[in-house]
Amino acid sequence: MEAVLSDVVAPEDLLKFEKKYNSELVKGTVSKETKFEYAWCLIRSKYTEDIKKGIVLLEELVQKASKDDSRDFLFYLAVANYRLKVSDASGFIVAKTPCEKCALEYEKALKFIRTLLRNEPGNKQALEMEKLIDKALKKDGLVGMAIVGGIGLGVAGLAGLIGLAVSKGAAKS
Amino acid sequence: MADCPHTIGVEFGTRIIEVSGQKIKLQIWDTAGQERFRAVTRSYYRGAAGALMVYDITRRSTYNHLSSWLTDARNLTNPNTVIILIGNKADLEAQRDVTYEEAKQFAEENGLLFLEASAKTGENVEDAFLEAAKKIYQNIQDGSLDLNAAESGVQHKPSAPQGGRLTSEPQPQREGCGC
Repeated sequence: MEAVLSDVVAPEDLLKFEKKYNSELVKGTVSKETKFEYAWCLIRSKYTEDIKKGIVLLEELVQKASKDDSRDFLFYLAVANYRLKVSDASGFIVAKTPCEKCALEYEKALKFIRTLLRNEPGNKQALEMEKLIDKALKKDGLVGMAIVGGIGLGVAGLAGLIGLAVSKGAAKS
Repeated sequence: MADCPHTIGVEFGTRIIEVSGQKIKLQIWDTAGQERFRAVTRSYYRGAAGALMVYDITRRSTYNHLSSWLTDARNLTNPNTVIILIGNKADLEAQRDVTYEEAKQFAEENGLLFLEASAKTGENVEDAFLEAAKKIYQNIQDGSLDLNAAESGVQHKPSAPQGGRLTSEPQPQREGCGC
């Protein structure tokens, strides 16, 4: 499942399905198939802007989908939100660092995968995915707490120093 | 159908097997057969050393589609890619819709290896992968598969245990092949 999450689209594929999508777009209607193909490529991009665009397309698809169809869209919505988790200002996906926003993306991913699991409780791919997101959420939560904890200690330390200085000053006067 | 839903998109797995005393790590890509995924999953065929083409012996329509899948597999892989035909659900003999003989004949006409297997009972599943790996290994041994070719789909790791016996040629460097 990690491999599914880290799988990156070949640039020529993204380009190919983007062209197909755009050519249908200028004609007025984009088929469900073309939209999904493009979205599936977009969410495997290494650029967050692409992933976000893919999410928009998948959300459009899932809204109009039958229960049978929606599983595919929900699964990739979860993958996309998981992949979005960490990005820097340049739009690249970078090494994992804790942030509040990430927790939100993970929670969104979890929401989609659980919707899928409600319809299909035994789906192995979805169950594995749920486990991974859960793990990532917990790990992020712990790192986040450690950093807040660290800041807490620092502040306490600083207060102690100030206290010391104040008391020293008081002693001098 | 409801108890066995289709694969979503692509699944990846690895398995280490042994062929002629050589440890071989198989990178397995399971691509969904649904039409929705077909155009995009085509790009996963590139650089594959082997392909397992699976149909359902209880559903003739899946057998009838084989030629189109085979065309894809042939067009998108290299001429040395080993293709093995698998008739799945061999445990459901009473519901059989495709005979062993006709599938065997189809396989022979198209130069494919052939096995019937059951994902449910596990019968012949391991063998399917083993057969494919053996054939790939044989192709390396007799020189028909060139490990230096960018699209061979095989990496030789001399550092691995028992390594260096596979071939004396330098290790091919393959990048961006997804394996």
